[in-house]
Amino acid sequence: MKAQPRLRLRLSVAELVLVGALALAILVMAQLSPQFLTVRNLFEVTRFVAEAGLISLGMTAVILTGGIDLSVGSILGLSAIITGVFFHAGWNVWLAALTGILAGTLAGALNGLIITRAGIPPLIVTLATLAIYRGLALGISQGQAYRDYPEGFYSLGQGYLGPVPVQLIVFALFSLVFVLLLGRTVFGRTLYAIGNNETAARFSGLPVDRVKLIIYSLSGMLSGLAGVIFVSRLSTAKADAGLGYELDAITAVVLGGTAISGGQGGIWGTLLGLFIVGIVRNGMTLAFINADVQLVFIGLILIAAVTLNQVLRRGRR
Amino acid sequence: MYVDRGRQISIAVFLLALAGVLLAAAPSFFSLGNFKDILVNISYVAIAALGMMMVILTGQIDISVGATLSICSTLAATASKAGLPLGVVFLISIGAGAALGLVNGLLVTRFKIHSIIVTLGTLSVFRGTLIYFTKGAWIYQLPEDFRGVGLGTFLGLPNPIWAMAVVLLAGAWVLSATPWGRALYAVGSNPDAARLSGIRVPFVQASVFVACGALVGLATMFYATRFSTIQSNTGQGFEFLVITAVVVGGTNIFGGSGTVLGVALGALLVGVTGTALTFLKISAYWEQALQGLFILLAVAFDALRSRRRTRTGGGG
Amino acid sequence: MQHVRLWIAVGAVALLGMAFAQKQITIAMIPKLVGIDYFNATEQGAKEAAAELGNIRLIYQGPTEGRVDKQIELIENFITAKVDVISVASNDPVAIAPVLDKARKAGIKVVTWDADANVRDVFCNQATFAGIGKALADEMAKQVGKEGEVAIVTSSLTAPNQNAWIAEMKKVLAKDYPGLKVVDTKPSEEDQQLAFRVTQDLLKAYPNLKGVWALSSVAFPGAAEAVQQAGKAGKVAVVGLSTPKQMKPFMKAGVIKSVVLWNPIDLGYLSVYAAKQLVEKGLKDGDKIVTKRGTFTVQKDDKSLQILLGPPFIFTPENIDKFNF
Repeated sequence: MKAQPRLRLRLSVAELVLVGALALAILVMAQLSPQFLTVRNLFEVTRFVAEAGLISLGMTAVILTGGIDLSVGSILGLSAIITGVFFHAGWNVWLAALTGILAGTLAGALNGLIITRAGIPPLIVTLATLAIYRGLALGISQGQAYRDYPEGFYSLGQGYLGPVPVQLIVFALFSLVFVLLLGRTVFGRTLYAIGNNETAARFSGLPVDRVKLIIYSLSGMLSGLAGVIFVSRLSTAKADAGLGYELDAITAVVLGGTAISGGQGGIWGTLLGLFIVGIVRNGMTLAFINADVQLVFIGLILIAAVTLNQVLRRGRR
Repeated sequence: MYVDRGRQISIAVFLLALAGVLLAAAPSFFSLGNFKDILVNISYVAIAALGMMMVILTGQIDISVGATLSICSTLAATASKAGLPLGVVFLISIGAGAALGLVNGLLVTRFKIHSIIVTLGTLSVFRGTLIYFTKGAWIYQLPEDFRGVGLGTFLGLPNPIWAMAVVLLAGAWVLSATPWGRALYAVGSNPDAARLSGIRVPFVQASVFVACGALVGLATMFYATRFSTIQSNTGQGFEFLVITAVVVGGTNIFGGSGTVLGVALGALLVGVTGTALTFLKISAYWEQALQGLFILLAVAFDALRSRRRTRTGGGG
Repeated sequence: MQHVRLWIAVGAVALLGMAFAQKQITIAMIPKLVGIDYFNATEQGAKEAAAELGNIRLIYQGPTEGRVDKQIELIENFITAKVDVISVASNDPVAIAPVLDKARKAGIKVVTWDADANVRDVFCNQATFAGIGKALADEMAKQVGKEGEVAIVTSSLTAPNQNAWIAEMKKVLAKDYPGLKVVDTKPSEEDQQLAFRVTQDLLKAYPNLKGVWALSSVAFPGAAEAVQQAGKAGKVAVVGLSTPKQMKPFMKAGVIKSVVLWNPIDLGYLSVYAAKQLVEKGLKDGDKIVTKRGTFTVQKDDKSLQILLGPPFIFTPENIDKFNF
């Protein structure tokens, strides 16, 4: 349908806009607060974006196929609770954490199964499972918090390797995997093909349903991992963990230039989107600017960046 | 205009099954007073859902409706406290909603940005601006005539129920009998074909946001008036409620098909499950999980049915 | 003449005092959430104190939903911004502890108020969980008697303060009022409409219901509205925590008989005074904090120090008109 070279050109424009926006954000924030442009603070920013970031990676893949996953925040909460429950049942904490991630993966797989088998649109399925998974977390925990993990477990969410927060390393690793997966593999190309034209992808013999099942499972797995990091960072597992993360992740993905209808975009854009939002939030808080003004700015940046991108694209045509 | 009745039947079957369970386990659920309460509680959702349905019919979405609801609530209450007559208060609420909708509509059509991105952005801008100006303060001591809109009755039925009925009937008429209404379906099913048949596609795409905003403004008048205070942070998560009502009610999320009856059933499903679970004495901790499950069950029947149909169809 | 000399002496002392105390103190005050009336009232009190004291730079910033992870992010940023005091109404006492520990290691003083945390220099305590739990249980028994069905409308099912109050209430019920049976606990998520709807449902699903506890400043008016609209004013008691301004109309209409609460303006006010004294002189057991709104005493507790605001106050039709918050 669309020529490959133009697609590539477009992406580079989108990313250029974002790099410009990121540079501008850094410049403005450095003016606002003297503490902003310090190594320590910049690493600190990554600590806050790591969880939403992991979720955004999976979300990018899901949206590339033209789907959406609204249940990610709830899966985070469910995985956090599962981790807490199994640890308090006497399991080794890392085994409990693995079980939590496994539960997240299964929750994602269930999304994928319902979407592909029953043929219900992803938005409706994950709108329902958003309530189901959050509700399960609430029901299992009865509103209680699970605490008192061994010291070693906290290294994941609170520890540093030198100046680098541990979750940044985890996040960077998964980002790299996803950049390669989406950009360099047949699997990745299949995602774009599905997003561009699902019917054509089916007719050309691509395993559409299997690929979808895998990406929803991956999205669940990453949400589960984010849940474990969340528990480690807060020393606490509670059923309201990750409430509203779906909107944070979707914001990062669409700000990053991934088309909501699928087929265009990628991980680099999402990472830029994620850091623009993270840096603006951090810088404005350092300058003691209230949350309401921050909300307005982040909304405006989202609209402005996408508009600019659109205008430049039209100019090139 | 293609209309699939499957989803409506699916929800109806589910609601009947739920009614059966209630009849056996909690017969006190079936009282006139309870039905009135349920209908009053869903009235504002249903009115806003009609607007959301118009947006979704054209293949777009509006997730800024919760923020719009809170801005309209604050403006309407402030206007009423300033002593303005009720008619003007209505106009202010509806007008403010329409104006916010116009902002969304223009951004979507002028800059060709997908509506989910635009309204994700305006959702934060609207909410942030409101908190900036109100400083989070709530509004108290609302005038009698203002509260009367939501609390009053007409011919024995509460005003919000009348409003819901009139708005939904009018909506059904507009969508099926006017050129504008039919244009929504055409634009949603195939924008290129719609353009070729002489429909001004950008105008239609922008106008649905104005209509949605105006309907949210109208819904506000039957929402904010029912309570003693106006919370400046009201309407959080309202967009989820409204979108659920619309898409569960069978409106195609990619545009082009959907009915007002489906929206009404969707709103009823969203509104009735919480009350039903209380009557069934289910622990509140499990309520949310069950409500999610109900949504899946309500659409599953339809999905499996159409799945079977396409399978057998594909064989022939 | 005598007077003039006295005034000169006072003036000189005041000038000297100002010269010592003029170093500006930046206090980052973090409520559980912004945009609700209760925390607007605490902000009002804090601002009043800051204006009186003069050398305070008050930053009042909180998340838009009552979530501890958002508070932690804010505090991390305030540590980087090198504020002098972090003053927080914590959404979770344990989860917030590591970041408060980090703040203290960075030389920042930590004050908690409204809801305590496991790490802090001093806690401005408006009322203990046990104190509130008992006040709520006693108030209900006073209004409906010692027998019958009662229900709870809480904030969210995971809200730590509400859960602690419910636990304390249930202890008092088990001991003193075993005949009062809690039939259901419903969440209202800081949403008036939801509080209204769940109360309405409870009234119908439990026709013998004698009373409802509404445990947040949003749940209380919502629940009272439902009882009033159902025409059950005076038949079903509503007991809860809220601000008097919000509940006055319901009290006048006879829907509620009392409102349990401390004065939130005093609480915000006290926390700023305590922060200033903590930074400038330090605080220890037995110290007095003298303010225009009264004198408060610092006491040792199991974690460090706390300052009691006083027992929870019960607003009644007789005294409610005297309060304007």
